[in-house]
Amino acid sequence: MSKVVGIDLGTTNSLVGYVDDGRPVVIRDDSGDALVPSVVSVGNDGTIYVGREAQRRLLTAPSRSVYSVKRFMGRGIEDVENEAALLPFGVSGEPGGVVRIGVAEQEFTPPEISAFILRELKHRAEEYFRQRGEFDFEVDRAVITVPAYFNDAQRTATRDAGRLAGLEVLRIINEPTAASLAYGLDKRNRGTIAVYDLGGGTFDISILKVEDGVFQVLSTNGDTHLGGDDIDRLLVEQVLSEIAGPKEQDAATVEAIRRAVIHAKWDLSDGDEAEIRIEPSPTVHAGYRRRITRAEFEDVIRPLVDRTLEPCRQALADAALQPSDLDEVVLVGGSTRIPLVRRVVEELFGRRPHSELNPDEVVALGAAVQADILVSGRREMLLLDVTPLSLGIETMGGVVSKIILRNSTIPASGREMFTSGVDNQTGVDIHVLQGERELAADCRSLAHLHLGGIPPMPAGLPRIEVRFQIDANGILSVGARELRTGIEQIIEVKPSYGLTDQEVERMLIESFEHAEADFEARLLIDTRNDAESVIHATEKVLRRPDFAAIAAEQLEPGERERIDAAIAELKAVIAGPDRSVIQEKTHALNHATQHLAEVTMNRTVREALAGRNVKDV
Amino acid sequence: MLECRNCGAGAPLDEHFCPQCSRILALGRHGDYFAFLGLPRKLLIDPGDLERRFRDLSRKFHPDYYYNASPAERLASLERSSYLNDAYRALKNPISRVEHLLAIEGLPSARSEEGTAKVPPSLLEEVFALNEELDEIREGRESGEDPEVLLLRLAKAREPIDAKRDEHERQLQELSARWDSQERASAQEKRATLDALRERILERNYINNLLATIESEDSSLKSQGSRHERALSPKPGGLEP
Repeated sequence: MSKVVGIDLGTTNSLVGYVDDGRPVVIRDDSGDALVPSVVSVGNDGTIYVGREAQRRLLTAPSRSVYSVKRFMGRGIEDVENEAALLPFGVSGEPGGVVRIGVAEQEFTPPEISAFILRELKHRAEEYFRQRGEFDFEVDRAVITVPAYFNDAQRTATRDAGRLAGLEVLRIINEPTAASLAYGLDKRNRGTIAVYDLGGGTFDISILKVEDGVFQVLSTNGDTHLGGDDIDRLLVEQVLSEIAGPKEQDAATVEAIRRAVIHAKWDLSDGDEAEIRIEPSPTVHAGYRRRITRAEFEDVIRPLVDRTLEPCRQALADAALQPSDLDEVVLVGGSTRIPLVRRVVEELFGRRPHSELNPDEVVALGAAVQADILVSGRREMLLLDVTPLSLGIETMGGVVSKIILRNSTIPASGREMFTSGVDNQTGVDIHVLQGERELAADCRSLAHLHLGGIPPMPAGLPRIEVRFQIDANGILSVGARELRTGIEQIIEVKPSYGLTDQEVERMLIESFEHAEADFEARLLIDTRNDAESVIHATEKVLRRPDFAAIAAEQLEPGERERIDAAIAELKAVIAGPDRSVIQEKTHALNHATQHLAEVTMNRTVREALAGRNVKDV
Repeated sequence: MLECRNCGAGAPLDEHFCPQCSRILALGRHGDYFAFLGLPRKLLIDPGDLERRFRDLSRKFHPDYYYNASPAERLASLERSSYLNDAYRALKNPISRVEHLLAIEGLPSARSEEGTAKVPPSLLEEVFALNEELDEIREGRESGEDPEVLLLRLAKAREPIDAKRDEHERQLQELSARWDSQERASAQEKRATLDALRERILERNYINNLLATIESEDSSLKSQGSRHERALSPKPGGLEP
């Protein structure tokens, strides 16, 4: 049986986890890192880089690199125009259609970019299972998480990305709910909890009731365009305003500033003061250094943090609860490390929030649990989630008639009766919308349906029942039939901000064609990673406090020099395109350090055993 | 009767699983939320019991547990789960519970009817007084009278409407209890109770509309009041870069 995994496809970082012997774990790389930066970069030769490697390339090849693609999933150009200015990559598209992301000379849709990230995670998991000696290490099924407040188009885009990455998407689940599953594992208690999830690009609040292992969401709210990215952008704009002149606004400088403010932001989670520091470069000749206090930082970000309050109040009101009714408040998402966020949450809910589990990893853990529930048939736990937004159709005068209300438990269904307006009319057009506003123009257009095949009858006589079904993924499907004749109607769905099935098929075929080139690229990256870990290990030994003693007592003359030379030679080729050369130089460095490795190992063992009785060993 | 798509055995309409092969049954043309949840057609129900039933049936129907099942069973699981969610939502709220009872007892819908447009006779007096007062408050607001004074007047005008609503809640409660005790009553007696329930629901919808009108005037007045204050308070200092 092939493996199933849970994937947290994040704005900033993505993770993959699985259930090992009843316990969810995240899969780490050799250096113990679970986070794969959600960055994709296209090399000059068309090679696709993902993760750390792509993140490094953000500085060296910003116009060929894409980050935070999640913000564009299921969106139209008109939604994202105002934030596109500071991005290194191009964002375009027809109004009312899918966003296109321009990287180098190519154009990608957001699901295609996300699929690169998913493929990387799939590969990471397969590599991990293979190394553990699992006979069947293939990973072809996954549960993927999305923000609870994602609409139908954003969920569908995520599912399409999974398909494009060669994954059967077992289930799309909401991030805060996934987190609650991970939290609910140890304590099988009951109670009402609020999950406050502020990530890299999105904000969610979900209120759940947990009883008998059933995790029932009472209400959810949020903002799919509010997160750490927005904080970073405010800080970048601040710095840019202080480094005058338009020539500093080139992509590489903006990226360097972004990196610097992110580090300062992290530092300010622990310290009262931090430094934003940009090294001198061709565009910023003198470099840039500036101290920022936590108070200044909080002044800048306060309006953003305050924007999370109204969704929280609305979610409480929809659940008909007061803050005092809650038993627990749980924090999820990297941005909840910010002390101001914690304070604001504590003030609003009147209690200290929980954050025992790593806020970066808890969603992937929950996704892994859900994946396990689906394939194992275990029934101890059950997630009952809700649809975040009302679903309706446009009626006379552009008014929306709601068919399924927000915070309805999913799966959910709704029906609406239609008839013809003129004699012998054989088709009806239906505009499906999502949102809370009264007018169609203010809601999210999901799709235009054409209902055909109505038998010719006098006007008003046909009775066509259109059935809307939201499945457990929160994704809509539509069916219809004419009740007098029992004829099933033909429905064509034209998604407003999504890919058609044909487009997904075409992209799948293209991705198979690219598979070989991707495989080569993958081998190159693996080789580079191996080389880096050998360099890293060697340099670590050279920095040992007792290295001078080792060298004096046990190294041959010239041995240190040979090692230094081998490191330098490997470093000179590591970024190059030729895999065999990197392998050769890695091998040479390994050879040069063989004696040193033996010596230091013996020394370490001797130290560990010193003063201990042979019997204890 | 339902027919099991797996083994062809017949099953009563309110069964969820085939008595022969125990597979999940396709949802027929079901219309009775009470029966679906295994409850008698009663209006005063124990919320804890309702919730337990909802959880237990969720554990039996949910698509999570039919991931490996046949397409027919997966569809049945999806339909039954959706229907269960609808049923729970409708019965959890006392008002929609009454509305559902009226619907399955064959009464015309009490929801979206002319009921909202026509003033129920029992409310004529209150509605007349309220509308007059509301007109004056609006005029006062537009001509710049003190919002605080107008807000007080509005609160005063609201009192009789609130009292009416409380009275209605009491009446609904009484009628619900009467319905529950009428299991063996004649058809006419039952019908009289249902008609009375329907009347209360229609009036309740009307009262809610009135309250919504009052709320909207209330927020217009408050936003005017806060604009007033903001103009007086000193300007907050801008961010120092």
